[in-house]
Amino acid sequence: MILTLAIHTVREAIRKKIPHILISLGAIVLAISPFISTTHEPDALPKIMLTVFFQAVALLCVTGIILFSAVSLPHDIENKTIFSILSKPVSQFKFVAGRTLGFALLAAFILVALGLVNIISVFFASAHLPPEHRGIFKARKEFGAHHFHIQGKIHHEKEGIRWVMGGREGIAIWHFSHLHEKAKNIPPFEVELRLKLDSSRNVADTIPLSIGIEGIQSKENKTELVSAKADETVTLGIPPEIIRKNNDIKITVFPTLTADYIGTAHNTIKVFSIQKGFVFNYAKALAITFLKFLLIIAIAVMGSAYLSAFVSILSAFAVFLCGHLLDFIKDFSLLLHHSGAHEHGLPGMIKKPSGFMIYMDYFFKKPLEWISFILPDFKKFDILSYLLKGIDIPIETIGFSAGYTVLYVAICTLISYILLKKREFF
Amino acid sequence: MNSLAVKTEGLTKVYKDFWKRKSVSALTNLNLEIKHGEIFGLLGPNGSGKTTTVKLLLGFLHPTRGKSWLLDEPSGHVKTKNKIGFLPEESYLYKFLTAEEILDFYGKLFNLSRKERQKRIDELIHIVGLHPYRKRLLSKYSKGMLRRIGLAQAIINDPELIILDEPTSGLDPLGRREIKELIRTLNQQGKTILLSSHLLSDVQSICNRIAILNNGVLQVTGKVNELLSRSDVTEFLVKNLSDSDLESVKEFIRGKNGEVISMHPHLSTLEELFVNIIQHRK
Ligand SMILES: Nc1ncnc2c1ncn2[C@@H]1O[C@H](COP(=O)(O)OP(=O)(O)OP(=O)(O)O)[C@@H](O)[C@H]1O
Ligand SMILES: [Mg+2]
Repeated sequence: MILTLAIHTVREAIRKKIPHILISLGAIVLAISPFISTTHEPDALPKIMLTVFFQAVALLCVTGIILFSAVSLPHDIENKTIFSILSKPVSQFKFVAGRTLGFALLAAFILVALGLVNIISVFFASAHLPPEHRGIFKARKEFGAHHFHIQGKIHHEKEGIRWVMGGREGIAIWHFSHLHEKAKNIPPFEVELRLKLDSSRNVADTIPLSIGIEGIQSKENKTELVSAKADETVTLGIPPEIIRKNNDIKITVFPTLTADYIGTAHNTIKVFSIQKGFVFNYAKALAITFLKFLLIIAIAVMGSAYLSAFVSILSAFAVFLCGHLLDFIKDFSLLLHHSGAHEHGLPGMIKKPSGFMIYMDYFFKKPLEWISFILPDFKKFDILSYLLKGIDIPIETIGFSAGYTVLYVAICTLISYILLKKREFF
Repeated sequence: MNSLAVKTEGLTKVYKDFWKRKSVSALTNLNLEIKHGEIFGLLGPNGSGKTTTVKLLLGFLHPTRGKSWLLDEPSGHVKTKNKIGFLPEESYLYKFLTAEEILDFYGKLFNLSRKERQKRIDELIHIVGLHPYRKRLLSKYSKGMLRRIGLAQAIINDPELIILDEPTSGLDPLGRREIKELIRTLNQQGKTILLSSHLLSDVQSICNRIAILNNGVLQVTGKVNELLSRSDVTEFLVKNLSDSDLESVKEFIRGKNGEVISMHPHLSTLEELFVNIIQHRK
């Protein structure tokens, strides 16, 4: 029954050409995106395309979905088509749930369609990129070092960076642990070094480094000589046989020449496991974007269960914007709090809070606190940076946003149901 | 307790505006009982509260006072609606669907299986005479056609109780006759029908019992033939008598101390004429 209502909603949208319009508008925006002028970094174009999709196109779709979902219920009531539904054995709850599900299906369809366009064009745009610039196509999971020390002499330490002189005078050592749990399905691993480099040689274009990777359990090790350039990250694959036998590894680095120096810190080196890859990561990003849409749909439906079409559109947009500005709202309410706290420092005479401050407190701070408590926090749905850095979106992020959305949608649907139940249809 | 199809107890509705100031008493203290198997007519001039009554019965409106039951369940009970058919005052339907699609949609809301739906839709589209237009969008339907599809959706679930708010409005005389016949047929199948109308001739010809509302107050309720019959007046309709024969009939009546109130050649109604012409053309 809920599904029937949902399909009905989708059909309504299709007959009213809503997906057609949104998908073509979205495709136009995506088609324009390559012409945005960018920096001259080789991978700027695919990055711009991803950004445009997850910011501009998503915003466009949200707008369309809000317009449609906030309007549909008030239209049902205004055109009295709701009579023909509620005179059937359909409870108000099923009605709301069916509508919401319908909008969700619609949103999913539009997202997937535009997402396909986006991902295909991203692949096209980066077909000729050299391997070292294909970072966004990885979906890596990051491991920080759990221990870092210098064996031998630290040449000097400045601003938290420990400098080591070459020729084995000092060796920087990082330990990484718990890289994988099970022996099966071990993904490839790589290590990324962002060292500071210096040299007392006159012409030092590149600096030769000795990088050792050693398994803690099997004691196997492998050493590689790499010539590093200043300001460039060095990426090395970790031999699979070491990873297979070891859960924990040790990485040692020193410049081979005594005239060279490296600057190191705890987070200079990171280990990444390369997960399923870009397409899967992209799918996860789409899923989270979809959850965000679902949340807005539930809010739009809730508004439209009580308000007129126009007012519910406005309020859904307001919630959407506020959800994005939530940090700002929080800061603002904190700010008010701070200026209130300030008074305690003042002498007893003027310590008594002024009328103005009480006024501010009741009319701004309290409501703002409440708003920031009630509003959805869309910060939790921000996945673009993961994609741009080629980092695997952690499963916890998905779980969290899914849980958040489910809770929110459940509450909104319940409220919509109660509002409709109380409502009269003239 | 006697099972009733429809029952209201002191049903009252006062419409208030948003600020709860201006108010309209649309219905005052209505007590009605409709038995199973009746065709019940709710009569009254415009604005007398017929539609208000129907909306209260279906639970679209909440009563200001009083209560109502359909098929022994309080109004608004969701499950009971499986056994109820409803045709609203105007055909408020989804215009972006075709006749077939909309019937299919409503059929699904009643959880009818695909086969049942198929069969019902074919049947109903024929009954309401829309088979040439079954694939046309409702946005391209005429008012009367919408009325017909509205009626079809009201009985798609083979309901026990059918509530029709002005079923014949917007229909041509032929359609009106067809609908009246349909209502009689449904009634013969044992269904209870509540219809509202201000077309007295329609109500008179099909209803068993009626109630007359004025300004939201029940004026009279009872069996149609009891309300209309006058025991001291008798009507004859005779054929093939010459003028002199008629004179002698008159003489005979006077001889029995009777009074002839009127005697004139019979006029067929415009409806009969219209129906004759249209049906001969077909
Ligand atoms: N939503 C409303 N708000 C205020 N008053 C209303 C509302 N709906 C109906 N009324 C008033 O209630 C009274 C009864 O209206 P109702 O629609 O029940 O009449 P009706 O008998 O169905 O008339 P008609 O034959 O014209 O369909 C009228 O005076 C009408 O103006
Ligand atoms: Mg009416």
